[in-house]
Amino acid sequence: MPRETAPSLNEKLFFQKALEENLRIDGRAFDQFRALELEFGDEYGVADVRLGKTRIHTHISAQVTAPLPEKPFDGLFTLTTELSPMASPAFEVSRPTPTELLLSRLLEKTIRRSQALDTESLCLLAGQKVWAVRADVHVLSHDGNLVDAASIAVIAALQHFRRPDVSVEGESVVVFGLEEREPVPLSMLHFPLCVTFSFYDLGGGAGEEEGEMRVLIDATSSEEMLRDGGCTVGMNRHGEVCQIAKLGGVPVDAVVLLNCIAVAGQKVREISDFVKGRLESDRKKRDKGGWMEELRAENDRVS
Amino acid sequence: MTISAEPSATLSHLYRADGSATFSQNGYTVIGAVNGPIEVQRRDELPEEAAVDVIVRPAAGVGGTRERHLESILQSTIRQIILIHNFPRTLIQITLQITSTPENDSASSKLVQASSNLPILPTLLQTTVLTLLSASIPLAMTLASISFAINSTGSSRKIIRNPTLEEFQAANSVHVLAFTSNGQLLVAESEGSFTLEVWDEVYEIGKDFCCDVTEPAGDDIMQQDGLDGNTGGMAFVRSTLEHKVSADLHWKD
Amino acid sequence: MAVSMERFVLPGESLDAEYLPSHPTLPLKLGPGLRHIPPNTITPTVAGQLCSDKRKNAVWVEFNGGRYIPTVGDLVIATINRPSPEFYYASLSDYAPQATLPNLSFEGASRKTRPQLQPGALVYARVSLANKHMDPELECVSSSTGKSDGLGPLNGGMLFTISLGMARRLMLPRPAEQGRVVVLDEFGAAGVSFEIAVGRNGKLWVDSTSLKTTLAIGKAIQETDLKGLNPEEQKKLARKSMKDF
Repeated sequence: MPRETAPSLNEKLFFQKALEENLRIDGRAFDQFRALELEFGDEYGVADVRLGKTRIHTHISAQVTAPLPEKPFDGLFTLTTELSPMASPAFEVSRPTPTELLLSRLLEKTIRRSQALDTESLCLLAGQKVWAVRADVHVLSHDGNLVDAASIAVIAALQHFRRPDVSVEGESVVVFGLEEREPVPLSMLHFPLCVTFSFYDLGGGAGEEEGEMRVLIDATSSEEMLRDGGCTVGMNRHGEVCQIAKLGGVPVDAVVLLNCIAVAGQKVREISDFVKGRLESDRKKRDKGGWMEELRAENDRVS
Repeated sequence: MTISAEPSATLSHLYRADGSATFSQNGYTVIGAVNGPIEVQRRDELPEEAAVDVIVRPAAGVGGTRERHLESILQSTIRQIILIHNFPRTLIQITLQITSTPENDSASSKLVQASSNLPILPTLLQTTVLTLLSASIPLAMTLASISFAINSTGSSRKIIRNPTLEEFQAANSVHVLAFTSNGQLLVAESEGSFTLEVWDEVYEIGKDFCCDVTEPAGDDIMQQDGLDGNTGGMAFVRSTLEHKVSADLHWKD
Repeated sequence: MAVSMERFVLPGESLDAEYLPSHPTLPLKLGPGLRHIPPNTITPTVAGQLCSDKRKNAVWVEFNGGRYIPTVGDLVIATINRPSPEFYYASLSDYAPQATLPNLSFEGASRKTRPQLQPGALVYARVSLANKHMDPELECVSSSTGKSDGLGPLNGGMLFTISLGMARRLMLPRPAEQGRVVVLDEFGAAGVSFEIAVGRNGKLWVDSTSLKTTLAIGKAIQETDLKGLNPEEQKKLARKSMKDF
């Protein structure tokens, strides 16, 4: 298995000393996210998120299909996060690594299980036809904190996506093309995002003394490799926590965790506002184009 | 949404990969990344040459038979231009992520499944070449690729260069050719019904187009109907790389 | 220094004789980026700028490459992975085959007194063997003189990753003049004391009096590399980061 070089002793020691002096290698504050950029594609439902050097591309698509027999009134929503060697040579296509499993599991719990997407609204004909929405997460570049970046990408893309309009008459369902009727946004109940915290135990022991545990937000991949423990909090802007995952790692005081959740709430609100702003400016950009598109549709019909 | 017929490319923008390129043409956008030469698994190790691995990922969904077919064409082509004998028992790994395609109805990529693999093949080939050049992996030669759609009505023939998806689907036959910088033919994939004469004509036009490094004069392009004023494939590769190299070497006098 | 930069080349292009230097007595030396197809063809293998040195009768292609390929004589910074009875296994770049460093290849080392290197330790070494059929080998001592010449373990400090082109610039005989890297001189002129080691495999080791200065120097080089800063901008960057301390 191709190996990534573990950080050298010099880097480890330097990093520890820097933490003791409250310094971070890239100069950020401990609770500061890297520069976040969000771009939408020309198609609906395509979002490109950059968090520092981590880059994630998400693609939403929808298809009409039969529902699950045990849930005849619910549409389907699947989330795939297959990591490819583009993200890092440590990943192989057919062999899921722990990173990949964790990523897909955390996204599942935060976005799918919390019913962020209203699956009942995806039902067309109970028991026969429903929408199956599919979110594909492609990691283009891995520099740490895939979970947070992926959650932003998926939530932004779901809000950006437009599915074709339908009309249901009796037993028949008519799906209109994009030129025939304006496509319709998905119905979302809330917008959960993930915030990941990394713990570093400087005490060299139980870490019970005050000030011996350092907590960093949005770790780069070298910071991730050096951390002693991590915790991902999934919550929405109203303060509702969807999930907390702390999988092993150094034991952490309860007060520290509660603090993390408070900080996460604040970060989620900031990021939600940012995503909303970007969606708004994208909508305005399309509106201008929308008028031109109508003209073009007329020309097509003439020729 | 205007689909631009002019190709555009960005190089070396991915952090982890040894080389990367994003290339768009005719509505197709592909992001490519290459890593290598890196350590290879024992089972894939070749004693005299580097193993070349190509992975194609579609925009929506996980890869299926179509992607495997594209991968096999790309792999057999690319291993002929990389100097694989310089790096025995290593691996050169190329990943191509398709990010956008000009499917006419984007209700779902499965409803309007393009029946052919060929439309995206030139874009994939071009992205691969740009990615390899950006990683400075030693190559024996470069490659340029082009696609044609032929519409035969009676005795007259209309040859469309770099056709759009609609032109592709409406044509009698479609052809994808790739030439090396030395003028050798590496890829020739065709679908549809055509005669050998048609193929010969396509071969000649393709060769001129791909290997012509100079900018075509305005008049030469207006030979047949429906041709855009595209610059030659090789010329595009050259100008893109020239920009990158001069930016990299800005410190030299 | 009769180095001239002629033209941009792509792999597989044929090179006319006029672009190649000629010398009455010295044979033509081919540097990186070129290959020889017998009997008379010389062709580039990468995209870059063709450079030649008339005095040494050498020709090569200048490019900023992706991955480091070990070449004999290069000075590199290696990370020790694990020891073994005969040598240490060290890595030069991620995911590449490991290199070996003999246990006794240090100055004044014998079976009884030799440095014990931990996994994760950094060493400044020279590549002593590199060919396509074998894993590379390193040495920390000059095989002819037995002296270390500055090679050996690197203690303390911090490691930064830089591009191969930047490593080459820093290793030129006069980096400020030929490589246009002035940021180190700026720090030195301001009285900051530091020590650096540059590995041709794209690694930079910096050690200075305080953490802040070490970080500032390393990051200044990385930024010069990433953003392609010219000397003026480098000076501004150095001054700005020195305001912190």
